[in-house]
Order: sequence, then C-alpha cells, then structure tokens
Amino acid sequence: MRLTLLIFLFISAPVLAQRTEADLKCNYSGKDFIYDCIIRLSRGGEPLSGAQVSVGADMPSMPMAHNLKPVKARPGKKPGEYAARLDLEMPGEWTLKLRLAGPVRDLLIVHYNFTESGTAPRK
Amino acid sequence: MIDFLQNTLDGLALGASYALLALGFTLIFGVLRRANLAYGPAIMFGCYCATWAYLKTGLGLLALALIAMVGSMLAGVYVERLCFAPHRKGAAAAAMVASFALWMQFEELATLALPRHLYAFPALYEGGPLSLGRLGLRIESLVMLVAAILVGTALWGILYRSRFGTAVRAVIDSPAAAELSGINVSAVSLRVFALASAIGGLTGFLIVSGNEQVTPMLGMWSTLKGMLAMMLGGLGSLPGAIAGGVALGLIEAHSQWYLGPQLRDFIAYLLLFILLAFRPPWMNTRSAY
Amino acid sequence: MDEYAIGVLTNIGLFSFVALSAWLLLVAGELSFGQQAFFGVGAYAAGICTTMLGWPLPLAALAAMALGAAAAALVGLPTLRLRGLYFAMATLAAAEMLRILFELFHWQIALGDDRIGPDGTQGFRGIRWMFERGIEPLDFLAIVWILLVGVVVIFLRIENSRLGATVRALGHDPELARSAGIDVDRLKLGVVAAGGALAALGGALFAHHNTYIEPRNFDIMLGVHSLAYGLIGGLGTVFGPLLGVALDIGVLEATRSLQGYRMIVFGGLVAVLLVFRPRGLLDERAVHWIKSRL
Repeated sequence: MRLTLLIFLFISAPVLAQRTEADLKCNYSGKDFIYDCIIRLSRGGEPLSGAQVSVGADMPSMPMAHNLKPVKARPGKKPGEYAARLDLEMPGEWTLKLRLAGPVRDLLIVHYNFTESGTAPRK
Repeated sequence: MIDFLQNTLDGLALGASYALLALGFTLIFGVLRRANLAYGPAIMFGCYCATWAYLKTGLGLLALALIAMVGSMLAGVYVERLCFAPHRKGAAAAAMVASFALWMQFEELATLALPRHLYAFPALYEGGPLSLGRLGLRIESLVMLVAAILVGTALWGILYRSRFGTAVRAVIDSPAAAELSGINVSAVSLRVFALASAIGGLTGFLIVSGNEQVTPMLGMWSTLKGMLAMMLGGLGSLPGAIAGGVALGLIEAHSQWYLGPQLRDFIAYLLLFILLAFRPPWMNTRSAY
Repeated sequence: MDEYAIGVLTNIGLFSFVALSAWLLLVAGELSFGQQAFFGVGAYAAGICTTMLGWPLPLAALAAMALGAAAAALVGLPTLRLRGLYFAMATLAAAEMLRILFELFHWQIALGDDRIGPDGTQGFRGIRWMFERGIEPLDFLAIVWILLVGVVVIFLRIENSRLGATVRALGHDPELARSAGIDVDRLKLGVVAAGGALAALGGALFAHHNTYIEPRNFDIMLGVHSLAYGLIGGLGTVFGPLLGVALDIGVLEATRSLQGYRMIVFGGLVAVLLVFRPRGLLDERAVHWIKSRL
C-alpha cells in the first residue's frame, strides 16, 4: 500500500515548496570544543516555532571522519529560537545539518566556521 | 619575460621539493612494486612530532629536523611491517588498502595530538629573499634546491657505491632473482623503507619550515605530489623521479601564473592522463603492480 | 525506528553503490581510485534534472546513470591497455580533473526570487525534490534499499552465468583470458561503464538525501574509502562491498564512545585483517566454504 503511494508521489507535483531559513549564533563554552548555539528559524519572514530540530554536523574537509551524532535542540526563549549544545571534535569549518520535524519537515544545510571565540558563517 | 623567468625559478624550487618526495616514493615503489599510500602521512607524522616537540620545548631547527626524520622513519617502518611485509608475494591491492588504513590512523593521531587545523612552525630563515638582478629567490627555496642535489647525490652514492645499494638495485631489477642469489629481500625492503621515510621526513621538515606552518593536509598532499611526479618522470626510475618532480614544479608554477590555481592542478592531472594513455617511449613500461 | 538509525542505514545504502562500483572493477582485475567522480557526476546530473529541469526523480536517476556510464567510458577508452598502478593513477587523475571541473561549473537559474543551481566551490544547494513531495526518511530508506537489492539480485544472476565467469577470468589473468578468445578490451570497457553507472545511481540518491552537494564531497578520500570497502568486505561475492560499508559506517557509529580514536582502532583492524585475508572477509575461499555448508 505504501509502495503504491510512493509511486504516486514520484509522479506528483511539488506540494511543499516553501523554504525555511536558519540562522546560527554560537558561543564557545570554554571546554574543548563545546559550543552553545542558538538557532533561529523563519519561514517567509515569520519565525517558525514548534518544530522539532535535530542538529547534525560534519566536516567538509574530512567527510564522515568527524561527524557529530545528532542532538535535539530545545525550544528557546523567543519564538522561532532553539538551543543546542554541540560537542565538536575540533574547531574549523563544519557543515551543520538541521533536520526539522513536526509542522514542517525539512533539511537545512548551513556552513559555519567554529573558532576559539565563537562562530561565523562561511557564506 | 621577467615573469617567465621568475616563475621558472619558483617552479624549480617547487620542483626540488617534488623531486625529493618523488625520490622517496620511487624508492619504495621500485623495490616493492607497490604504491605506499601512507608515505605522505608518515612524513606528516614526523613533522607533527617535530611540531609537538617545538611547542613543548622550543627546540632549535636542527633538532626539529632530526625529530621529523626519525619520526617519519619510525612511522615508515611501522607501515612496512604491517602493510607490505605480509603481502610481499601477490595481493598488491591488500597492501595498498592496508597502507590507506594506516594513513587514516596517522591523520587521526595527528589531529588528536594537535587539534587545530594550522600550527605555526619555526621559520627556516627569517629574512627576505635573495635578489638576483630583477629576480627574487627565497632562501628557503635555495635550501630546498641544495637539499635535492645533495640527497640525489647521496642516494646515487649509496646505490652505486655500496653493497646495500647493489642489493637494492638487484631487488629493483628482479626480486625473484635477487632472492635466489642470496639477498635478504625482506631486510632490503625494510631498510629501503627507512631510507625513503628519512628522505621524506627531511623534505617535510623543509616544506613546513619554509611555509612556517603545518597542517594535517600535508599527508595526502605529499603522497599525491610524490606519486604524480614519479609517474610524470616514468615510473620506477630514480633519475625519472627527479625529472618528474622538477617538471611538475615548472608546470605548476607556470600554469598557476597564466591560468590560476584550479587550472594549475587540472593541467598537471591532464598531462599525467595523456602521458599514461599514450605512453611515450621514455615512460617506464615495467610491470607496475 | 528512530531517525538517527534511519540516517545511518540510508548512508550505508548510499555508499554501497560506490563501493559496489569499485568492487566490480577489482573483480575484473583493476584498481580504481576514481569511482567517486562518477558518484559526483550522478549527483550533479540528478540534482540538475530534478531541480532545474523539473524532471521526476526516477527519470533523473536514469539520466544520471547514463551520464555516469558515458563519463566512465570516456575515461576507460584511452586507458584500456593500462594495467595495475598505471590504470589506478589514470583513474585518479581523471577523477581529480572531474572534481576540478565541478569546482569551475557555474549554472544558475532564477526560481522565484532565489537562484538555484551548481555554483562552483559553493556547491549545489536546494535539491529538495524529496522534501517538496513530503517523502519521509523511512520511505527514502526503502527506495535506496529496494534499488540496492535489485542491483544485488542482478549481480547474483550474472555471477552464476557465463558473463560472471568471464569477468572473473579477466580479473584472474587477462592474458589467459585473451588467449581463450575473450574480447578483453570490450569486456573491460563494459565493466568500467557499468561501474560508472552504478556509482552514478548512488550519487543521484545521495544528492537528494543530502539536499546539498559540493565538489569536496567527491574527493580522493571517498574514492580510496570505496576501494577499501570493496576489498575489505571480500572479493568473493557481491555482498562483500555491502559488508565493507556496513562495517565501516557501523563501527564508526558504534564506537562513538571511543570518540576521536575511531580511525585509529578501525585502521589498525583493517590492516591486521588484510594480513590474514588479503582478498577481504568474504573472499572466494570463504564464499566457497559457506556455499558448501548450505
């Protein structure tokens, strides 16, 4: 049954074409190499709350060698904000995968440089 | 015109480092008929040992160079014993994949000991470049060139003027015949590995002190350049390794000037591919597996 | 099943394609450091087809396979007579050339008020065909594994047929094969092209799973890894490379407690394993032993 549904999905037109935006701000906790991050999600300009966010990370320069086991983000203080604590193996350039579930299902990829002082987006 | 000359000079210096890397790689390849994917990583290991020593104790350049060489040699012997000695007869793919596994080990060890992506390394020379009329030559490059000439000469001396060298040449020519004439091929392999790694360690030291920095990417980079240069010069011959290294350096320097860094690498690979596909007579056609 | 486990199983499936493609060449007697390039060709091709041309995924995957086979043939044709390390270096050179071409490839079109498409080193973002249709991770896992099982079944059929024996003969001793009347050149080209198509299929799926690809994803590391998977799992059976991938990714995930020491442990295990089993865990002898017990 699921299979037939699947086949239908293959030929159907796009249904959920709206995109989610993500913004990240992290602070270095001082301990090797743990960062406390605040993620801001928005959709079409409006903050997106109520989503279940899980954060995974990988280093683009050495794929699969240093990837992070996904952590679930907790809802933050303001709407559309989520907090997560990332324990990275080393500082440098990381590709973060934000998996969203709940009202919106999506996968967002953002690039950030993690340094001793904090984070800065690559792009 | 002046640009062309400057690029040629830079290319020669770069080529000297490639030639040294190729020499080490070719020694191993000539004797064992196998590509050692852990060659660069062993060099990186040696350089990281030196970096670590520098950070902990602030030793001088000469001591650091020795540490780099010894570190590389230890790593090289480890690789030889685990990856190449057990697979001497046949199973070339297994040897090379095993060397890849050890490459992964060295990389992780390095990032564990020194987690940052970049580390400062004491400079080989704290001064400006030498002026030759309107051209400039960095002292580090001069040192590299001199080192290449010295190592090349020393290697020639070892290979053609010593018993060990004769044994090495015999094994390069035909391992089976060498074994039959009483040469301990296993011992020769081990010592060649140590020698090649020592050369690699010295080269690595010159590279990182010339650049004043060391990164874990040094491992893959060195293996790649060594292999590329060896192939360009005709697989398995030592003069070919030097020629290939110098040629690669010149090609890279000029390509980068006229076409930028990405096309620089592209040209080198394209040239290799074309050479392999059309196999001109000076490319060593000895069985390579 | 929790989403993490689904992710791991999906990755195992995806990388099995490129491992299979390296394995296929190993069985035919050739070492290839370049299968990652065809993985990349498949990824970019499928991404362009679904995102910029609006094609459905199945059609995009087919196009990706065709392009992968074509690219592989383009590499395989001039290198037909090369053997051993010469061939391996040629594949490496070709793969790196392709990767640099990806770095230089810019083709963007406007979609709404956004620009999408491959953007050189910045990569190709927004391959969202799956999300736009609400395909769940579990469904995608099923798609990947159904396709993989299909490939395995085809291979098992071929293994027991004349073609399978011919390819293994080629791998064992090409000169002997040639003297037995086998058209070695055509066979090798066919194997190379098939490997390319296989890797490309994996790449197409990978692109849609990740929604973002960049040239760095398809570098030498992936190539040497897939070669390792093909060898470690065993050259005796098509399940070998699958085992190799499962071991690597499985061990990678299972030893998270060994945080930071994973590669040291795993690398050491691989090297030691190869000392005792140079043709992998499920090498021809092991497979024979298993079959005799069934």
